[in-house]
Amino acid sequence: METRTRRILLMRPLLQAAVVGVLVLALSGCQALRWPWLGRDRQSVEPLETEEQAEQAELDELDRPPPRVIDPQVERRKIKVPKIDDENFELGVTYGFLSIEDFTTNAIYGITGSYHVTEDFFLRADVGRSNAGRTSFETLGGNVQLLTESERQFTTYSLSVGYNFLPGEVFVGRNVAMNSSFYVLGGIGWTKFAGDDRLTYNFGAGFKVLPSDWLALHIGVQDRVFDSDLLGRTKVTNNIEMVLGATVFF
Amino acid sequence: MERSITTIRFRLRKTSLALLLACIALSSVLAPHARAADQDNDRKRDKYLQLFVVQPYLELRTGAGRGYPVTQVVARDESVDVIKRKTDWYKVRTEHGIEGWASAKDMAKLQLADGAFFKVDFGDLEGFARHHYELGILAGDYGGATLIGGHFSYSLNPSLKIDLAASKFLGNATNGEKYEIGLNHVFLPNRRWSPFFELGTGIVHIEPRVTLVTPIDRTDQTGYVGAGMRFYIARRFFLRGEYRWNTVFTSRDDNEDIKEWKLGLAAFF
Repeated sequence: METRTRRILLMRPLLQAAVVGVLVLALSGCQALRWPWLGRDRQSVEPLETEEQAEQAELDELDRPPPRVIDPQVERRKIKVPKIDDENFELGVTYGFLSIEDFTTNAIYGITGSYHVTEDFFLRADVGRSNAGRTSFETLGGNVQLLTESERQFTTYSLSVGYNFLPGEVFVGRNVAMNSSFYVLGGIGWTKFAGDDRLTYNFGAGFKVLPSDWLALHIGVQDRVFDSDLLGRTKVTNNIEMVLGATVFF
Repeated sequence: MERSITTIRFRLRKTSLALLLACIALSSVLAPHARAADQDNDRKRDKYLQLFVVQPYLELRTGAGRGYPVTQVVARDESVDVIKRKTDWYKVRTEHGIEGWASAKDMAKLQLADGAFFKVDFGDLEGFARHHYELGILAGDYGGATLIGGHFSYSLNPSLKIDLAASKFLGNATNGEKYEIGLNHVFLPNRRWSPFFELGTGIVHIEPRVTLVTPIDRTDQTGYVGAGMRFYIARRFFLRGEYRWNTVFTSRDDNEDIKEWKLGLAAFF
């Protein structure tokens, strides 16, 4: 009796060809599938571009403008930054009285200018002019004249550094509040008095009130110290002034 | 008399025409004013820089200083108009017309309409290198006399400055004053310590003190070369120290050489 295998082998060649054809087709189908043991090989074969190329491609992708969903028809506004007004300089006038050592107390008037570097510090230049009266010695001595009229003119110049402290508000009545601040200052300068220029140190303090942003009212006290040899012996003289002032910021 | 519809229509047309003409006439009279007013408003609006609050809020004080009380805040997304600046404080006006002072530090967090941050010149080391003007006071010695003076500089570029100075000197024998103009070359302008070299000319007026019988008053031309150092302290302040060799071109046979040194405090802006 013929076995089943033998029967297949004994099949007609046409049938054999058909069976082989089906087998080949099935195998080629397997080739198209991804088999894990084939994957590695395929990857090593497949890379079409190097890593650098990939990076380049990625960068190109980034450079490319994003796809436009809406095309905005709005022109970007061009901002012109206008110059902002600075108000760091302060200029004004002062008027008060000055007590000149050994002489009388007289009116002093002056000009003051400041540059505010920060909210705390400022540089200040002052010029003040006064007239010295008669000394007690001259008054008692009758005809004695220590100085001529032009020599009695007292002009003082000073360059100072100031510091604002205790800023706050002052209240006038119920409805008005004004900004205010104390300040101290010290500096160096010279004084033209009794026909000579004298190196002068000045120091003092003041209080200012600002009724508006650009206006300040001051009250200040300063001591102007210089050496004087007017009465024979050189001595340090203290000349104290107390002034009221009005300044504007610009 | 019976009125036809057409006549009425015609009358209506006539009235509307008249109205139209009146309107045109009126608009031609009023329009320029309206346009002018618009332009005026635009100009006013353009005059001030508009900034937008992007931080949670912006504090406004009553005055230009940290000691003054905060009375208002501006909320996020609202805008302010910048009116003016005083030291490191800006006066601003809100959309509601409220005015107050905001600190420069807070202002630097505001944005312009194009989204860029507002640039504030704080006066830092970079400002020390690049600025337009300098103002300072100094004291020192001028040939044995005490010297007091002030100077103002204009920067042509970070390294080169035009220096204007006025000084007074008080000595035992003579007093006087001098006015000078010069060129100042700063090396390493963006360093905290920056040396400089200077060259200039001026006028010196020397007068003898009354107590001594010495030559008469005289005014001479003077020239100088000098070298010095600038040291940035903080904010807008720096120290300036220098040594100068002065030559006074006298009317006598010999020129006079005067050595001078001085130290001062200056600010840039």
